[in-house]
Amino acid sequence: MTGDLMKPAERLQAYSEGRPIDRLPCVPIVGNTAARVIGVKVSELRNDGRLLARAQVAAYKRFGYDGIRIFTDLYGQAEAMGAKVRCPLDETAYLENPAISNLDQIDSIRPIDPLKSGLLRQHLDAMERTLEAVSEEAPVTGALTGPFTNASFLVGTENLVRLTLKRPKAVHRLCRVVLETSLQYAEAILKTGCAPSLTDPMSSATLISPGLFREFAFPYLKSLIDFIHGHGKAVTLHICGKTHPVWEFMADAGADCLSIDNDANLSAAKAKVGNRVRLMGNVPPAAVMLQGSTEDVRMAVRKCVSQAHDNPRGYIVASGCSLPTETPFANIDAMMEAVREVGYPVTEIDPADEDTL
Amino acid sequence: MAVTDNTEVFQRLSNAVVDMDEETTIALSELSIELGIDAYETIDKGLVSGMMRAGDLYEQEEYFIPELLLCSDAMYSGLSILQPYLKKETGKPKSRVVIGVVEGDTHDIGKNLVKIMLVTSGFEVIDLGHDISPRSFIDEANRSGAQIIALSTLMTTAMDGMAEVVRILEKDKKRNVHLVIVGGGPISSAFAKKIGADGYAPNASDAVRLVKVLTGGNQK
Repeated sequence: MTGDLMKPAERLQAYSEGRPIDRLPCVPIVGNTAARVIGVKVSELRNDGRLLARAQVAAYKRFGYDGIRIFTDLYGQAEAMGAKVRCPLDETAYLENPAISNLDQIDSIRPIDPLKSGLLRQHLDAMERTLEAVSEEAPVTGALTGPFTNASFLVGTENLVRLTLKRPKAVHRLCRVVLETSLQYAEAILKTGCAPSLTDPMSSATLISPGLFREFAFPYLKSLIDFIHGHGKAVTLHICGKTHPVWEFMADAGADCLSIDNDANLSAAKAKVGNRVRLMGNVPPAAVMLQGSTEDVRMAVRKCVSQAHDNPRGYIVASGCSLPTETPFANIDAMMEAVREVGYPVTEIDPADEDTL
Repeated sequence: MAVTDNTEVFQRLSNAVVDMDEETTIALSELSIELGIDAYETIDKGLVSGMMRAGDLYEQEEYFIPELLLCSDAMYSGLSILQPYLKKETGKPKSRVVIGVVEGDTHDIGKNLVKIMLVTSGFEVIDLGHDISPRSFIDEANRSGAQIIALSTLMTTAMDGMAEVVRILEKDKKRNVHLVIVGGGPISSAFAKKIGADGYAPNASDAVRLVKVLTGGNQK
C-alpha cells in the first residue's frame, strides 16, 4: 500500500496538463531487481515473457512507481544479429564477444527480422502481458537499444570508435543495417501498445566527442524517434555518463524526455534544454541506491528535486540508470517515500539538504 | 624529408602522435634511427611527449576516446620500431602494475586508457585483459613482483570481485606487498574505502597520479 492518492497514468496526465497532482512522478528504473521481487533467478526472466511480465508487474505493485520498463539487458537485438552474450545464472547478462572478430567481415552483418528472434519475441510477449495487467493504471515501455550502441556490440566498442575516425563510411553502413532492424523492432513494440524507450549508452560523451555523436548517433536516433512519433508515442532517451555536450543534440533528435545519469547535472540540463524537454534522473544507482542508506537516498532525492522540480517541461524523479539487481528494497521504498514527503507543489527544499551531499 | 636537428625530429614525432598519424610516426621513427639519434630520447621527447599532449587534450575535452586510441596506435607503432634500438637500461627498474577488468565484465576501454597513460608515464604494465578472476590478479602480481594491482569494472555485479582481491591478499598475508587500486563507472572513493583498497581514481589521468604517489614516483 503506497498511500498515493493518484494512479501513475492519472498523475502523469495531470502533470503534463499542469493540473494539481499528489506528488512528483517517480521512476526508480527497476530492471532485473524484479527477479528478486518474485524470488526467481535473473537468467529466468530473460527468455520467458510470461515470467518477465509477472516479475515487472509484481515489482510495480510492490513499489508503486510511475512507469514500467520491460528490460533485462541491452543485448537482445545484437544477440539476434550474431553477438555472443553470456548469461550468468543469477546476474545480468553481458556481452561476451561481438558478432564479428575481423573487420573484413563487417559487410557480412545483415539486418534481421526481430520477430524471428525467440528472445525478442519473449520480450514483446512480456510487454503485451504487462500492458494487459496494468494498462489502465501505468505506462509500460519496451527498452530499445540505440543503433550506435548496437553497432558497438556487433563489431566491438574499440573497433567501432576507431572506425568512426578511420572508416566513417563503413560505420554508417553498419548503423544503417542496425537501424533497419531497430525500426522493425520498434514497430513490433508499438504493435503491443507500448512505447519504445531508447537507450544509447555508447553514444555518451564519456566515450565519443559531440562531433562524432552528431555524425554517427544523431541521424539514426532521429530516424527512430521520428518513426515512433509517427505512431503517436512520446520518446524517452537515456544516455549514460557525461552527456552535457550533447543535450541539445538529444533534444534536436526529437526526444520528449531526457533520462540522464549522475555524471550529469540536472540544474545545468534544465538551463540548457529544460524549455524543450522533460528531464528524468539522476539519483546515483550504485553509490546511493545500491550502497547508500535510506537516509542517503532521501537526501539524494531532495537534491535532485531541488535542482529540477521547476524544469519548464517537467521533471520525473528517477535513478540515473537502471538499478543494480541487488538494490535493497528499502532504498527503493525510501526513494518513493522521499518523493511523497516532498509533495506537490514543491514549495521549499531546505538548501542545507544540498550541502550534505 | 629535410630535417635540421634532433629537436625537430622530436617535435614532428610528437605532432604526428597528436595528429593520430600512424604513417608519419613510423616514417619519423625510422628516420630517427637512420640519423643515429638516441632511441630512448626519441621515445621520450617524441612519442611520449605526443601522447602526453593527447592526454591533456582529453582532459580538456578536446579529444575523446576514439582520438586517444588512434594517438596510442601511432605511439605504439613508433615504439615497435624504436624499442629494439634501446640501450640496455642502467637506471632503476620501473615500477610494475598488473591491470585488468574483473570477472563478470568485458568492458575494457577504461582499463585500456589507464594502461596507455601508465605506459606513457614510464610504468611497466602487465595487462591481463578482461573477465579476470581475483586469484589471477594475485598470481600475476606475485609472479611479476608488481607493486600495484589495478582493477576496473563498469558493472555493479562485478564489483565484489574487487573486494575479493583485497580479501585474498589479506588471507595470504600479502596485503602490504601489493597495493590495490580501483576504478570504473560505478566505483567511488567511498566504495574503495569500504573494501579496503589503497586508492581510487575517477579517470585515467588521476589513475597515473595515484600510481605515482603510491609508488613514490615513476622511476623511469
